[in-house]
Amino acid sequence: MAATLSPVRKSILPHNGDSWQSIAKRELPGTAEGDAVAMLQSWNLHVFMRSAGGVGRLRSDNPILPSDVIFVEPPHA
Amino acid sequence: MYDLVIRNGRVVDGSGMPAFNADIAVQDGRIAKIGRVAESGRREIDATAKVVAPGFIDPHTHFDAQLLWDGYAKPALSHGVTTVVAGNCSLSLAPLKAEHRMKLVGMFNQIEEMPLKAFKEGVVWDWESFPEYLARIQKGLAINVGQLVGHSVLRLWVMGEAAMERTANPQEIAEMQKLLRECLDAGAIGLSTSYVDMDETLKPVPSRYADADEVDALASVLSEYGRILQIVPEFYDPDLTIARLDQLAELSIKYAIPTTFSPLFVSADNVGAVERVMARVDEQFARGARVWPQVQTRPIDISFSFAVPSLLFIRLPGWYNVMRFGTLDEIIEAFSNPESRAKLVAEASSQMALWSFLRLRHVASEANQQYVGKTLAEIGEMRGVSPLDAMIDVSVEERLDAHFIAENMGHNLDDKVGGLLKHPRVHIGASDGGAHILSFSTYGDTGYLFGHFVRNQGLLTLEESVKKITSDTAAIWGIPDRGLLQKGLVADIVVFDADAIDRGVEVYVQDVPGDGSRYIRDAHGVDTVIVGGGVAWSAAEGYTSDARGAILPPAIDPVLERIAA
Repeated sequence: MAATLSPVRKSILPHNGDSWQSIAKRELPGTAEGDAVAMLQSWNLHVFMRSAGGVGRLRSDNPILPSDVIFVEPPHA
Repeated sequence: MYDLVIRNGRVVDGSGMPAFNADIAVQDGRIAKIGRVAESGRREIDATAKVVAPGFIDPHTHFDAQLLWDGYAKPALSHGVTTVVAGNCSLSLAPLKAEHRMKLVGMFNQIEEMPLKAFKEGVVWDWESFPEYLARIQKGLAINVGQLVGHSVLRLWVMGEAAMERTANPQEIAEMQKLLRECLDAGAIGLSTSYVDMDETLKPVPSRYADADEVDALASVLSEYGRILQIVPEFYDPDLTIARLDQLAELSIKYAIPTTFSPLFVSADNVGAVERVMARVDEQFARGARVWPQVQTRPIDISFSFAVPSLLFIRLPGWYNVMRFGTLDEIIEAFSNPESRAKLVAEASSQMALWSFLRLRHVASEANQQYVGKTLAEIGEMRGVSPLDAMIDVSVEERLDAHFIAENMGHNLDDKVGGLLKHPRVHIGASDGGAHILSFSTYGDTGYLFGHFVRNQGLLTLEESVKKITSDTAAIWGIPDRGLLQKGLVADIVVFDADAIDRGVEVYVQDVPGDGSRYIRDAHGVDTVIVGGGVAWSAAEGYTSDARGAILPPAIDPVLERIAA
């Protein structure tokens, strides 16, 4: 059994006060902010759909909870 | 003369070793001898042709409220369960300030489907602190209890309403650490948290507003005591589950603490996903982490009526909101009024395949008895309407006292579930005992393990199954002196018929305070259940008054601790 870890889908835990924009700037620096935010939202529907559906809404403009796992890459094939 | 002698049993001692024939003598609550016992006992039990095993340990329950009016955790004890762990999923009933009681009742109602009326009529709120709560349930306690501290409750105590809005500041985190220490000193078995649950207003529970620093700080306190961290991850998504178990593994390694996550289900549509999760579990164990996935034995069946919000409707917001927030008359009106009914039917009609196979299991009226036991497809055909309309019509006609069941909704692939249960790094648990009482019976999972997976399917041996739910569980949770049949250990013992034990038939009973109802399963094939050396239940006598349940682990004696140091 291996004592090292296989690569898994990369994720982060939010910093205090993080928004889609701040995560996009930090984690996807080479991508235009609008595109980066759209990608993050599509990779994190478990967070993004929270505000869209109105369920579990934290703030109207920022559904990200301090405990959320945020994926910063798409699902592996 | 011994206090108790169990004679001629087939001893399955919880170690996983092959069964053997022997007598067991009990004295002063502990096992005094295993072998041929010549002396007589004040009480003797003939276990000829029966299995004698350590009492079963159920690590994932929500008996927190029920223990206030029922120290036996009925009917769990009669199934051979001698120890339950309560306070899972970030929710415990202590520590709890008076001003937060109704908030917590709301969360228990929403998340665990505990009826509000049961709290209103079954609970005398005479505690606030964790030690006070333990003292309260210890009166008349017949089953052993390992009590977790709920993370959401810790936050409520320290932060008040802000617990449901923001992260904690360093001072608040320090206060939570101090409070957690007080709970662990009093005998808490660990800490529970949740990353998925929502409160009664459908907002995230307080634990979900905690950042990683806060969880890390609390894990450091668990490390001082070597106690466990239990979490509910986003179990519906394997990538999220893996991210959470990685998070747990880092804490486990950093602080040398055991951790566990629950649930983990395997169904036809997620076999590959569960294999990925288990591969990650194996890798993390190889690194030295302890991240125990909990897997339940029973398949997922969901019973429901329109009178209470069911998990089955969680993806239909229109339906769920009507059932969650409507009074009985308002729910009936919503499904009777042509305009609102049309909207609800439209929302649910895409799931017609699901409605078709649901079965009507109970109605009150004589007129509708003819439909009991039939699927909605069959009832719809008899009435000349769609299955969905049949469900609504019967519910309205019965003033919502019509009960349906969705059987085998998942976790029902025997070879896959059996493989998981057998896996050395899978922890058998996740019964949810005491919760979801109007959705399914959470009792008898141990009987199902022996009846279905050992006897019928042959996927596990009797010895390995007993080991899984006794000594393995005791070791994972750090429960002292229990889980094995060995001289000197506490005599928590179950005597059962291996050819007959099963989970029994699910029945609907009205035994919850406040005229409440629930689904239960009565024990089948269990002969005698002994807790702390006393017979707490037997098939012949039922529940006895010999209540010797204990809080596990025991409170820490500061004097002894100082001597040890």
